[in-house]
Parts: sequence; structure tokens; C-alpha cells
Amino acid sequence: MSETLLSVENLSMKFGGLVAVDNLNFDAKKNQITSIIGPNGAGKTTVFNCLTGFYKPSSGKMLLHHDEKALLLNKFTDFKIAQQAKVARTFQNIRLFPAMSVLENLLVAQHNFLMKASGYSVFGLLNLKRYQIKEQEAVAKAKYWLDIIGLTHRADDNAGDLPYGDQRKLEIIRAMCIDPRLLCLDEPAAGLNPKESSELNKLLKFIKDEKKTGILLIEHDMSVVMGISDHVVVLNYGKKIFEGTPKETTQSKEVIEAYLGAEE
Amino acid sequence: MISENLRQNLKDSLFTGIIATAIFLPIVGLRTELNQEKTGLEIIPEWNVTLLLILFCVVGRFIINLRKQSKSNVIANTFSQLGNYFANKGKIFVFSGLLFAIVFPYLPFTDRYLMDVGIMVLTYIMLGWGLNVVVGLAGMLDLGYVAFYAVGSYSFALIATEFDWSFWICLPLAGVFAAFFGILLGFPVLRLRGDYLAIVTLGFGEIIRIILINWYDFTNGPDGISGIPRPTFFGLDFTRNPPEGSESFHTFFNLEYSGMHRIIFLYYVILVLALITNHVTLKIRKLPVGRAWEALREDEIACKSLGVNPTNTKLTAFAIGAMFGGFAGSFFATKQGFISPESFTFIESAIILAIVVLGGMGSQTGVVLATIFLIGFTETFRELEQFRMIAFGAAMVLIMLYKPKGILDQRDPTIRLKGNK
Amino acid sequence: MEYFIQQTINGVTLGSIYGLIAIGYTMVYGIIGMINFAHGDIFMVGAFVALISFIIFGLTGVALPIILLLVLLISMLFTACYGWTVEKLAYKPLRGSFRLAPLISALGMSIVLQNFVQISQGARAKVYHSTLDGRLEFFKDSDFVVIVSYMQIFMVLLTVGLMIMFTYLITKTDLGRAQRACEQDKTMASLLGINVDRTISLTFIMGSTLAAVAGMMFVMYYSVIDFRIGFLAGVKAFTAAVLGGIGSIPGAMLGGLLLGLIETMWSGYVSVEYKDVAAFSVLIIVLIFFPTGFLGKPDIEKV
Repeated sequence: MSETLLSVENLSMKFGGLVAVDNLNFDAKKNQITSIIGPNGAGKTTVFNCLTGFYKPSSGKMLLHHDEKALLLNKFTDFKIAQQAKVARTFQNIRLFPAMSVLENLLVAQHNFLMKASGYSVFGLLNLKRYQIKEQEAVAKAKYWLDIIGLTHRADDNAGDLPYGDQRKLEIIRAMCIDPRLLCLDEPAAGLNPKESSELNKLLKFIKDEKKTGILLIEHDMSVVMGISDHVVVLNYGKKIFEGTPKETTQSKEVIEAYLGAEE
Repeated sequence: MISENLRQNLKDSLFTGIIATAIFLPIVGLRTELNQEKTGLEIIPEWNVTLLLILFCVVGRFIINLRKQSKSNVIANTFSQLGNYFANKGKIFVFSGLLFAIVFPYLPFTDRYLMDVGIMVLTYIMLGWGLNVVVGLAGMLDLGYVAFYAVGSYSFALIATEFDWSFWICLPLAGVFAAFFGILLGFPVLRLRGDYLAIVTLGFGEIIRIILINWYDFTNGPDGISGIPRPTFFGLDFTRNPPEGSESFHTFFNLEYSGMHRIIFLYYVILVLALITNHVTLKIRKLPVGRAWEALREDEIACKSLGVNPTNTKLTAFAIGAMFGGFAGSFFATKQGFISPESFTFIESAIILAIVVLGGMGSQTGVVLATIFLIGFTETFRELEQFRMIAFGAAMVLIMLYKPKGILDQRDPTIRLKGNK
Repeated sequence: MEYFIQQTINGVTLGSIYGLIAIGYTMVYGIIGMINFAHGDIFMVGAFVALISFIIFGLTGVALPIILLLVLLISMLFTACYGWTVEKLAYKPLRGSFRLAPLISALGMSIVLQNFVQISQGARAKVYHSTLDGRLEFFKDSDFVVIVSYMQIFMVLLTVGLMIMFTYLITKTDLGRAQRACEQDKTMASLLGINVDRTISLTFIMGSTLAAVAGMMFVMYYSVIDFRIGFLAGVKAFTAAVLGGIGSIPGAMLGGLLLGLIETMWSGYVSVEYKDVAAFSVLIIVLIFFPTGFLGKPDIEKV
């Protein structure tokens, strides 16, 4: 039985009078892929934004468990979620650095590692060997991930020039370059054709198995959800209406009603 | 009989004519001038110019429509060709440019006037490189850059006149002051959005200028600070008659006294300062903080999601840009021997911004090209002084319309997997 | 006490000018999300057109109220053309471009306008004494006589009248509805048949018209104009717009009045040399600590 990586307790997010997320409780376990699904407007991205420090939740707790400790994610805002709590994310609309090369994108992800290595730029300015060694390490890590998704030959091309499917993959491995404990992916399969979706599945399985990173996923593409999820959480109108295995989800009456409407 | 296209074109041109009349008739056509008796204003019609301008617009519109109908894109293509030409020449251009700059004072046609132009161009290049860090690399629109230029100048002037330290000590001090100032100014405002940040920095620039004018006790107000010591060549000054017991440059080297000596020395000082600015900037671009600048420019939200601290990163860009501005300011103070708040107006900030924007945001070579074009070109055509600013403004609009990334919009990555070319 | 009342009256008058210009900023910001940096210079053009019209009509023997009306209409008309042209040339093509592009373009346009007027009309300040003289005096027996000039009354009344007309325009007419729709969601508005381009153009025209009125008031009130007045007035009016809440028209007027009062009180009680510093400081403080202003809506960024 896997340990819990993330526990969300009584999470609520209100915008003025609108309740986007209503008293949400769910767990995501380590070494598992948890998918959050639900009709449009169910509040999925809002949950993500709370988890990754972009919104301050109106109430509730989000706890990240690691090394016997529990980090209260509410306390981390903005960039600290990625920097300190090691929660990484990708976005619904791809956010790469389009005018920078693929390799540079991956190096920006290793910013904090490299900043310390460069002595906050001092060693770098003095051309010290110790920084150059660390920089090579960072490049090696970037190359490692590029090899996995087969984009090494395009390392020096501008990220904005890549085809859509490759950009999605690049965004994911960029997030992996911060060595996250929890990886949050916002509709990673959006716009992918079936072949690309299955490649995505392989990549996510690899991340789960080899890197031991817990993955939290928002998705509409059922082939991805059913194909690789260990656990599914279903939201509707900001509330959780079901939680269970993928198989159980397809058989749940509430889920079917939410997506297809109630039987007359 | 008349084709549809032609009819549309004529209608357009007529409409343009009407609008052009509304624009030009009152302001250009009816010039107000103090009357003979000096008692009030009178109107002096300028029909010829007005008519010419209106005609120009109508005909211009007609031609543009013709081109649009034939689907060609001349302006953008010209700029593209220009940019690509320089991008491809790359290293050769840089090398020959540098060579030219080094031998410039000794070229046969270079007289005192050209030397002054050269020094001015190099000063603006340095300022452009400084602002390029903030605007071009980090993507923050700073409309008050002249404030750092002013802080550098005034701190140099005040320290040098108060404490009588040499140029070489005051210069780094002034840079540190300016950097410190940059951090002070930057800290509260850097989390503001692009357009708000622009206006706030403009506000800062103006506040500095107003304080410089009004704080008479400290800054000497509009009278400015004079008697700023000139730079020395390892202790040798450049005067005709050195004081008793010491040597000046021309006596030490046994040369005929010439005012040019000092000018040539100043030229090389600014050249070295500019080259240092360039070298440091290029170096930082390859370091994580420089990469973070560019990443912030591209997408701040993505940066945050990767754990990059946007405020600290922006602060470093601001501080370093300010520092370079401060150095340039010190040079300016010692070159002139006299500074006053008049040299530090918003127009200066706008000119420096125009240089960065025109040259290609982030491109060091682009800044050089833009400065040579904007400053050098218009200096040598002094009679058109009046039209210089209007050309600046128009250039900024045109660049945004046709080539928003500037003339030189190619960007080389700072690191390559396949080894550096 | 009388001094305070005087400063208040002066502040309200100055505030009306700022408020009228501020409305232009806030409307444009509301509909296309950009700061029209050149708007202050549109105000300056309005002042010049008003000046020229005053001189021309002053030569005829027409009665003062008719002159005022004519100058008002002419300045509004010609300045509206300027506003329309600037939008068409420098902003419309940049609607899809990166964030800072319209701002840089606006900056360029501002420089073009200033120098256009400088070259055409000369760099020297232009002095004009309008013929609306006369004033009311209060507290005649005290040490400080409070003066309210007819000019000030005219300005405030004109501003109030315009505000009423404007509010009606925005809330009750089709144009106003179209504008509000475009502010919310341009794509949807166009899908519903609203001509978005025309609505935006009209927004600029309306803003420029009000700026022209402010320009005319400026000429009459201060009697001296030059090509530079746009810059300072522009930044201050923008401050007013943010203070009142960017995107809100009543906010712009409120902000204008507040800023006018702050500036006048500061000049009157603290220091006249640093009054502009006071205005700029208000700008910086508001933007850092209080960016939604009094009546503005909070801005949530969608990720």
C-alpha cells in the first residue's frame, strides 16, 4: 500500500459570491498517477492553482508528505512552491520560453541549482572551474531527459519552433528538471493525436516508475485517464462526486450522470 | 469603367484627405505668432506647407493601397533584409567595427567635431547597453532610465568636487550609488505589471529631475555643478600649463600641446567603459541569472512555476542596468566639467529607449547599429535638428508596427548542446 | 479658513480638467487594456486648436457665449480626428502584438505629436487672455478674500454638464452598451454583431473630445500654453484615473477632483516647487499599494 503524498483537506476556493471549489477532500499517493476529471467548469484548474501557489485558498489545507514530514502547501506562495516544496506544474496553454532554445528552457528549470553553484554569479563571473563543472552536470541532466523523449537533435532550436506535441513533452520534462516530488499536469494530452497520447502515457509511466515522482493529472482524454491512472477523483460544480479506481469510475452512477445527464 | 479596387482606393484616399485636412489645417496651417506690436498673438497662414502635407498623405495612401492590393510588404521586407544582412555578417562586422572604433581618432578625416560626435555615440551606446539589460533582456519597460544617469553624474560631481578624489576612484563609487539607487527604486515597484511599471519609472525619473532642480543647497539647482575635475592619465593632467612642480601630459611626453590630447584620451576612456559594459553583459547572459532575465521576459508565470524568484531576478537586472547608467553618468560629468538638471530630462530616457527598441531588444550589436544611425546620422545633419525628435517618435511607432523585435531580431542561444560555434 | 476654501475651489477647478482627461485614459484602458500614453498630448492639441479658434473668432465681433460654443465644438471636432487617427495608425495594428508594443508605440506617438506641434507652432509659449472676465467675491471683510471667477464657474458647470451627458451616453445608449460588452469580452461581442473596431474608434473619439474640452478650459484658465503641457497633464490625469479606479468613469472624475485638491493643497500649504513631485508620489503610492483605486474592479490574472 503506497504512502500518501498529497492530502487535500476541506479545500474551498471562493471568488466573491462564486464558489469554485467546495470543501474538497482527496488524497494522492506516492508512486501513483492520480487523475482529476470532471465536466468543464468543475473547478479542476482552480484546484491546481491552489496547489501550485497561484491562488490563496479561501479555506482548507493542502499537505505534502515527504521524509516523515508534512509540508503545509498553503504557506508557500508563488515561486516558493516549486523552489522549496518541490511541486512542479505544466499549464493548459503551453508556457515555454519560445524565443529561447530547448536546452536553455531546461537550464532555466535548474536555475536554483545553478545559482548556488555559481555562487550567485560570482564564481560564474570569475570563470571558476567549479561552476563550469556544475553547468555541465545541468546540461547532462537536460540531455538525459531529451534523450527520453527523443528531442536531443533539436536541443539548440528555439522552443517556439517545435511542433505542438513536442512542445507538450518539453514542458513536462522541463518540469521534471526541478526534481519535483509532485508533478501537476494540466491537460497534458490536449491537442495530441492518438499516437502522441500513447507516447505521453509511456512518458508518464516512466516518470512514475523510474523517478518515483507522484503525478497529479487534469485530463479530458479518457484514453490517458483510463490507460495510466491508478486513482481517479471526479469533480462537478466544485464538489467531489466520486473517488476510486478507473474501473470503478466508469461504473459509477454519479459520474455517468454528471457527464451525460441524469436518466429521464 | 473604373474597377472596384480603384474605386475603393479613391474613396479611401479621399477620406484620408479629409482626415489629413483636419489634422494639418489648424496646427500647421494656422500658425500663431507674436504680432508686431507684441501685444498678442496673430494667425499666419501657411497654406503651402499644409496643402503639401495633405497631398502627401492622399498620394501616400493611394500608393499604399496599390501595394496592399498587390500583396507586397515592402517596408517589412526592407527591414528584414537589413537585419538578416547584419546577422549573417555577424563576427566580421563586430570585428571590423571594433577596429574602426579603435583607430577612429587617428583617421585622416577625424577632426575635433567628429571626435565629439564619436564620444557622444559611444556614451549613448553604453547607455543603450545598460538599458538593454533592463528592457531587452529582462523585458521590463523602464521609462526613467535617465535617473540613474543623473545619479551617476551628480554623485561623481559631488564626490569629486567635495573630496578631490581621482576619476578612477569616483567612477566605481558613482556606479555603486546608482546600483544602490536602482535597488531602492526597484524594490517596491518590480512586482507591478508592464505598463504600470513603465509609468512608475517615468514618475521616478521626473521626481529625480525636479529634486535636482529644486534642492539648491545640495545640488546647486538649475545652476548645476561646475569645476568637475577632468580625468588624468595616470596622474598627468591635460592642461596647457601644469602647476609648479608637476608635469602635464604634453610636457611628460614631449609633445606640442594640443586640445585634442584630452579629447582622444576621453574617447578611449568611454570606449573602454563601453567595452567593459558589453563584456560583462555578455558574460552574465550565459550565467543562470542572465538566462532567468530572458525567461522572465518570455513568460513570468512559467518562471514562477519553475521556482525562479522573479523579484530578485528583476532587481539584479535593474541594479546592473542602473550601475552601467551610473558609470556613463560619471563619464559624462568628467567630460563636460559641468552638469545641470537640463541634461537629464525625460527625452533622454525616451531616446535611449528608442535606441534599444530600434536595435532589437536584447541584441548588443543592434544597440550599436541603432545608436550610430539615430545619433551619428542626425548629428551630421544638424540642420534637421528640429526633425530629429519627430523622426525618433515615428521610428518607434514604425518599428512596433513592422518589426517589433527591432532590426536585429535574431537571437543566438547562450549555450549549445552541440558545443559552441 | 478662507484660504482653505479658496484652495478647495481652485482644487476643484483644476480637478475638473484632470478628470476630463482622465476619463479618456480610463475608457481606453477599459476597452483595450492599454495606457494611451499619447492622450495627454491629444489634450495639448485640443488646447492649441482652442487657442487658434479663439484668436480667429476674437477678430469677429461675435458675442462671447457664441464664441465659447463655437470654440468648444471646433476643438472637439478637430481633436477627435487626432484621437481617431492615432488609434488607427499606432494602436489598431498592434492589437494582437506583445504586451509592451502598444505602449512603446504610444510613447512614439506622444513624441511625434509634441514635436509636430512644436515645429508647426514654434517652441515658445503662447499667451492668450480670454475675455471671460469677472468674478464673485466672498468674505470681503476678512483678511483673505475668497474669489470665485466666472471662468471657474463656467468650467465646473461645463464639466458637470458633460458628465451627465456622458453617463447617459454610457448607460442608456446602444453605443454605451456596445462599449461595455467589448470591455467584458471582445470576441463574444463581435460574435453578437457588435462592430468592435468601430466601438473602439468611438471610444477614442469620445476620450479625445473630452480632452479637447479640457484643453479649451486650460487655455482660458491659465492663459499660457506650450507644446509641453500634454506630458505633465497626461501623467497627472493618468494618476487620477488610477486613483479613482482604472476602468471606472465616475472613478476618473473622482480621481481627478481628488488629485486637483491634493495638488492645490500641497502648493498652498507645503511647497509650490514640489507640487509635481506630490502628484508623481501619489501615482507611485497608488500603483504600489492601492492599484485598484477607489472605484475600480480587482484584476485577477487567469493562469
